[in-house]
Amino acid sequence: MDGVPPANDDSNPAALVIEFRNVGKTYRSLLGNSVKAVEEFSLQVGEGEILGIAGPNGAGKTTLIAMMLGFLRPTTGTVEIDGMPARTFVERNGIGYLSELIAINPKWRADTALVRYAALAGIAESQIPAHVNTVIEKLGLAEHRDKKVKALSKGNLQRLGLAQALLRDERLLVLDEPTHGLDPVWTQRFRDIVEELRRPDRTILIASHNLDELQRLADRVAIIDHGRLQRVVSTGYDQAQQTATRFRLTLASGHERIRESFPNAEEAGKGEYDVTVRSIKELNTALADVMSRGGLVASVVPERSVLEQQFREAVGESQ
Amino acid sequence: MSRARLARYSLWQFRDFAIERGIAIMIIGLLWGYTLVAPMRAAMGAAFDIGPRSPAWPLVITITSSVVSLAVLIALNGIVSTDRKMGYYRFLFSKPVSAVAYYAQLFFVYMAGVLVAMLLLSGVLHTIVPAFKIVNFLVYAAIIYIAMGGIGFFVSVATRFDWVTLAAIWLGSRIVRDFYGARPGWKSKAVELLPPVHKLNDVSMSIITSGTAHTSDILWLLGYGALFFALGLFLLHRGSLAD
Repeated sequence: MDGVPPANDDSNPAALVIEFRNVGKTYRSLLGNSVKAVEEFSLQVGEGEILGIAGPNGAGKTTLIAMMLGFLRPTTGTVEIDGMPARTFVERNGIGYLSELIAINPKWRADTALVRYAALAGIAESQIPAHVNTVIEKLGLAEHRDKKVKALSKGNLQRLGLAQALLRDERLLVLDEPTHGLDPVWTQRFRDIVEELRRPDRTILIASHNLDELQRLADRVAIIDHGRLQRVVSTGYDQAQQTATRFRLTLASGHERIRESFPNAEEAGKGEYDVTVRSIKELNTALADVMSRGGLVASVVPERSVLEQQFREAVGESQ
Repeated sequence: MSRARLARYSLWQFRDFAIERGIAIMIIGLLWGYTLVAPMRAAMGAAFDIGPRSPAWPLVITITSSVVSLAVLIALNGIVSTDRKMGYYRFLFSKPVSAVAYYAQLFFVYMAGVLVAMLLLSGVLHTIVPAFKIVNFLVYAAIIYIAMGGIGFFVSVATRFDWVTLAAIWLGSRIVRDFYGARPGWKSKAVELLPPVHKLNDVSMSIITSGTAHTSDILWLLGYGALFFALGLFLLHRGSLAD
């Protein structure tokens, strides 16, 4: 875990926005059975940060988010946003929230649903049509705006859910499995939208199974399993964290001399080799050597990203 | 600002009531009224002139008061629990809205909806039975909405199976009161804690006929409903929106 900031280490210099302090949530049945969904979870999320939350199914991601929105009360500990209880913050300021399950009354029309949410969000009546039209255009829902919610496909419903979260210029966005059900085009479009939303005074939380997505979008990723925070990983390149030492190298030419630069290269397919290095510096030196010998490098792909490696270690260690 | 925003949203809430509940209340009320009053009218022929002194008058009161109870049951069914069961609360209450204020407003918007439905139904009945006073009937409907609806609201906050539970409470209280209410001892005293359904017959007859009733009976009905409505709001404030 070298180089990984401890969970409760507030190393982020930006103003604090969200604080989970020793949060626990235990579900109890009427028969007395209990399930601990979240345990001793402490984390601070700074202003302007995009935080990813990753974990296997049933890890407690959605329970954490429900406590952050004040939909659930923690059994122990506190969740505060801007120094006030989470529910109080939401009631005063609102949050742009996309839930994992998109639950909108199926009898409502898509655009009417947005008008209703805009009214509740406090957008001035005269500005509601403009706000609704903007998100409809942004999310490509123009041809579906007159449809009843029940007539929307899974992907369009997901986009409608995202549209209602983006109706207002929120300081805090919480997106739970945001690309679930989206096709590749809209998955990429979503990533572009999140990048556009990045702002110094806006905090974004994204819970996802998709580690590649979190690697691309988030500044840090909190990995949770069995309701506990396992580790927090910075997604930016950090040599100290770089433990993924195996890469897949594809050469356009120079195959015959590959082992002069990478003595341990293993052939993995036509023009593809798996190579193991001790550091990024060693990788770059060897690649320069390949090219100096006339080889052409087509691609270099890490076998696993830092996040994926950390995730496997964290989830594996806890089981 | 927040109150004004929520007040504007009441138009959407009223629209939902009209489409999802109001039409059903009207259809059931008309069917019920027609199937029970029409045969009576046919049997009595030219003598059909129902007034408070007519032997058929108690039947009219029973029919109309039953329609009120049914309307309240339909109106309150899932008033809070549906949003929780279906997950609609997630997007509603990620907006800057207090769940307590939202559902308190919804309760009174639905009350207005029930009264509008009762106004239309009693208007129809008044054309057939001119002695039937619309204003008296609306006063009775408002009292029953608070009394029965207050308990229904609490049940909808506390459980997913609200209309079944409310119907069971309402019917169960009636049966238990009939059984134990007149007996001496602690059981009859304990029964007094149950919803005051035993007062309904007297109150309905009295209010719909003359527009008056014993103040203590009305206060007991209103107080009981208002107490449970307040308990429902408290539970919303203290409890969790998610299951």
